[in-house]
Amino acid sequence: MSYSDPQSPLVRIEVDGAAHPVPEGITVIQAMWKIGRPMIHGVGCLGGVCGACPITYRLPDQLTSKTALACQTAVRDGMAITFIPSDSSKKAIALIPAAPPNQKTLFQYYPETRRCTACRACSSVCPQEIDVMGGVRAAINGDLSNVAEKFTSCVMCGLCAAVCEVQIRPHRVGMYARRLTGAFYPKEATRLLQRIEEVRSGKYESAWNQLLSADDAALSKYCSSEEAAQKLAS
Amino acid sequence: MSRLDESKSLVIEARAARMKETQALLSAEEKDALIRRYHPDFRKEAYRPIRLGPNQGEQTVHELANLLEGESPVAAEAISLSPQHQVDLLIIGGGGAGATAALTAKAAGAKVLLATKLRLGDSNTVMAEGGMQVAVSAEDSPVRHFLDSLRGGYMKNDPALLKTLVEEGPEVAKWLMDLGVLFDREEDGNLSIRGGGGSSKPRLLRCKDYTGLELMRVLKDCVLNEQIELLEFSPIVELLTDGAGSCTGAILKNLDNNQYIVVQAKSVLLATGGIGRLHIQGFPTSNHYGATADGLPIAYRAGAKLTLQDTFQYHPTGAVYPEPMAGILVTEAIRSVGAQLVNVKGERFINEMETRDAVASAVIRECAEGRGVETPAGRRGVWLDMPMVDLVNGEGTLAHRFPNMLRQFSRYQIDIQKEPVLVYPTLHYQNGGIQINVDGESTVPNLFVAGEASGGIHGRNRLMGNSLLDIIVYGRRAGRAASKRATEISFGSTTLRHLDLFHDAQKKAGVVPQTVSPMLFPDYAKKNE
Ligand SMILES: Cc1cc2nc3c(=O)[nH]c(=O)nc-3n(C[C@H](O)[C@H](O)[C@H](O)COP(=O)(O)OP(=O)(O)OC[C@H]3O[C@@H](n4cnc5c(N)ncnc54)[C@H](O)[C@@H]3O)c2cc1C
Ligand code: SF4
Ligand code: SF4
Ligand code: FES
Repeated sequence: MSYSDPQSPLVRIEVDGAAHPVPEGITVIQAMWKIGRPMIHGVGCLGGVCGACPITYRLPDQLTSKTALACQTAVRDGMAITFIPSDSSKKAIALIPAAPPNQKTLFQYYPETRRCTACRACSSVCPQEIDVMGGVRAAINGDLSNVAEKFTSCVMCGLCAAVCEVQIRPHRVGMYARRLTGAFYPKEATRLLQRIEEVRSGKYESAWNQLLSADDAALSKYCSSEEAAQKLAS
Repeated sequence: MSRLDESKSLVIEARAARMKETQALLSAEEKDALIRRYHPDFRKEAYRPIRLGPNQGEQTVHELANLLEGESPVAAEAISLSPQHQVDLLIIGGGGAGATAALTAKAAGAKVLLATKLRLGDSNTVMAEGGMQVAVSAEDSPVRHFLDSLRGGYMKNDPALLKTLVEEGPEVAKWLMDLGVLFDREEDGNLSIRGGGGSSKPRLLRCKDYTGLELMRVLKDCVLNEQIELLEFSPIVELLTDGAGSCTGAILKNLDNNQYIVVQAKSVLLATGGIGRLHIQGFPTSNHYGATADGLPIAYRAGAKLTLQDTFQYHPTGAVYPEPMAGILVTEAIRSVGAQLVNVKGERFINEMETRDAVASAVIRECAEGRGVETPAGRRGVWLDMPMVDLVNGEGTLAHRFPNMLRQFSRYQIDIQKEPVLVYPTLHYQNGGIQINVDGESTVPNLFVAGEASGGIHGRNRLMGNSLLDIIVYGRRAGRAASKRATEISFGSTTLRHLDLFHDAQKKAGVVPQTVSPMLFPDYAKKNE
């Protein structure tokens, strides 16, 4: 696989303190391969959704470091990069309760959530640009569906938990709120339930018998004819 | 202005006119001719016969044939086969199929060990964007779903496997929802559904464009809640058999200290996923880092038969620009809501809702015949005109429905609400794999397979959204059957006898293995590319 233009100019990056020339325009992960590092830890999907590859980096003209996903970030000249080990925050064993959740359900597992000082560190570090603090505040207010919505794109990288000064685990709170919201969705998916009932009651049995006993030619006829499909379906 | 920018202006200029014109669907003959001429599955020089084993004499691509004929990494080593772990069921692979199987088997009372190559969840599943097909609407039915899939798969799907897939779809959707999966819903509570290429009715359930992330996050959370024993960074490198052909365990490798781990199990379930990182025929891929088809050579050496091992899915729209995004998937769902494919001159050349093989072939044709656009890095592609989505459906649609896509491109200062992007087919899915029955069992007794590593369900071409369904339906079925099996039998002896037989077959066929398999990771760092 080639992923860089042979003609593209080189930039100089610094990885864990050592300097390396790499082609401009490739991602930080690709740069690791380029400098000969086989990646095992710190890589997963290569598509920005598994959260395996958080890094901090600093550019020469900046005082502070930024956080990002290494598979989603292009190298730039003078970039100083450090890989951050993947999420080590403790996960509570938080099961889906039998009865609909209330405010206590969440705090029972994640009591520290109420300690949020609104420092915003979690939001500023999130590579998915989630309003993490807003999510935590919504959790404190018991607005679970709002928490769920806010954490839709969370890749569970754990950076927010790593920076929280009062040991809140926002992504885990978000995850649990999402599951509670899904499991206790306020309105039923009636059509789905009807379909399950239809299948159970054997509504399609005769169609299956017909189809599964058909030979290839007959099957291909069914397939090419929309009407047949319609008839069998009804 | 560069040629790329020039072409981009043509696309934007021609947009208003294109909005009005319709593009007819291809006739069966036209489609067939297009695919035969341009689809990578039809490039003869990319294929060769497999020289030994259960599929001897059948064709596959060189990249896979080399692995299937490859040498086991443990062949040359004197390793002790006394087990460090003894479990009812060993599940290998921490993607959607493996996690689902683990949950089902645990619920059925089996002692389960789940081993995976990277972390639990690092997989193709987490990346799925488009959705999962389930026939829920009143105009739709499992039978319709069956016929669409059969048509999409060129009638090569195993009918029994396919029937089970579509029929258990609704039940499986409910199972996921009860676990807390948040599919997009309508105002009235019903599941929101959308159309996909090759489907006669809309039936894609989804969670924005994060469907796989949503599924994997929940499944992983459940596996952790259930405290299922887990070995991460521990890929399988070989199976164990009892000498009479049944599977009795596996050898894993701890990637951190390079030590082997021997696991004795009453049944083994392979859920090692796909093949994209083999970069078949030099294609870029949408797959995760560990998608190196490991389950196939391992199962093959133990005597498992493969099916449809010669057909692969090249997703028509992988990004080709900017360079760091090359190969990354641009979900088909974007085409289903109005994004158009256009060539260098700003002309449409295919109906976007044809099946993936036809759309991919058409894109390859445009580029092969000089109507593609070249990127600064020398790749070629055609335009996917995404701003049309907002024009057709109202402003904000892209941002609302495809936040992931928007974010990915915006990291490189490309606003997909305003400009088209360049795409080319990307190696996406292994249509075939290890042959299974409706309980997920392979032709090797006590060796079960689920998910992308298995073959037969999707025929020669998988419809969008059928794979997420497959991994849950068959993850559950195989998990259930494998744990039931484990309660019925006792531990078998653990040997590498199948490797001796394989070596004999190699000698007889005059095959000198060209590589050690499984590959485990693509060798980007070694090649220093
Ligand atoms: C970008 C992308 C988008 C997609 N979009 C959709 C979609 O919208 N709808 C749809 O239906 N399908 C989609 N698919 C296809 C679908 O996601 C996959 O086919 C499906 O998730 C495969 O699930 P799986 O569990 O079989 O494999 P995976 O999810 O890939 O899991 C395989 C697991 O096995 C592990 N593994 C591999 N080798 C070894 C080894 N030697 N030892 C131990 N573990 C190993 C891997 O690390 C991984 O954890 C998409 C695929 C991709 C790549
Ligand atoms: S919310 Fe936390 S865990 Fe989720 S993506 Fe943002 S920083 Fe990572
Ligand atoms: S970092 Fe912790 S304390 Fe600060 S806003 Fe986030 S959750 Fe609250
Ligand atoms: S490797 Fe998965 S987010 Fe970067």
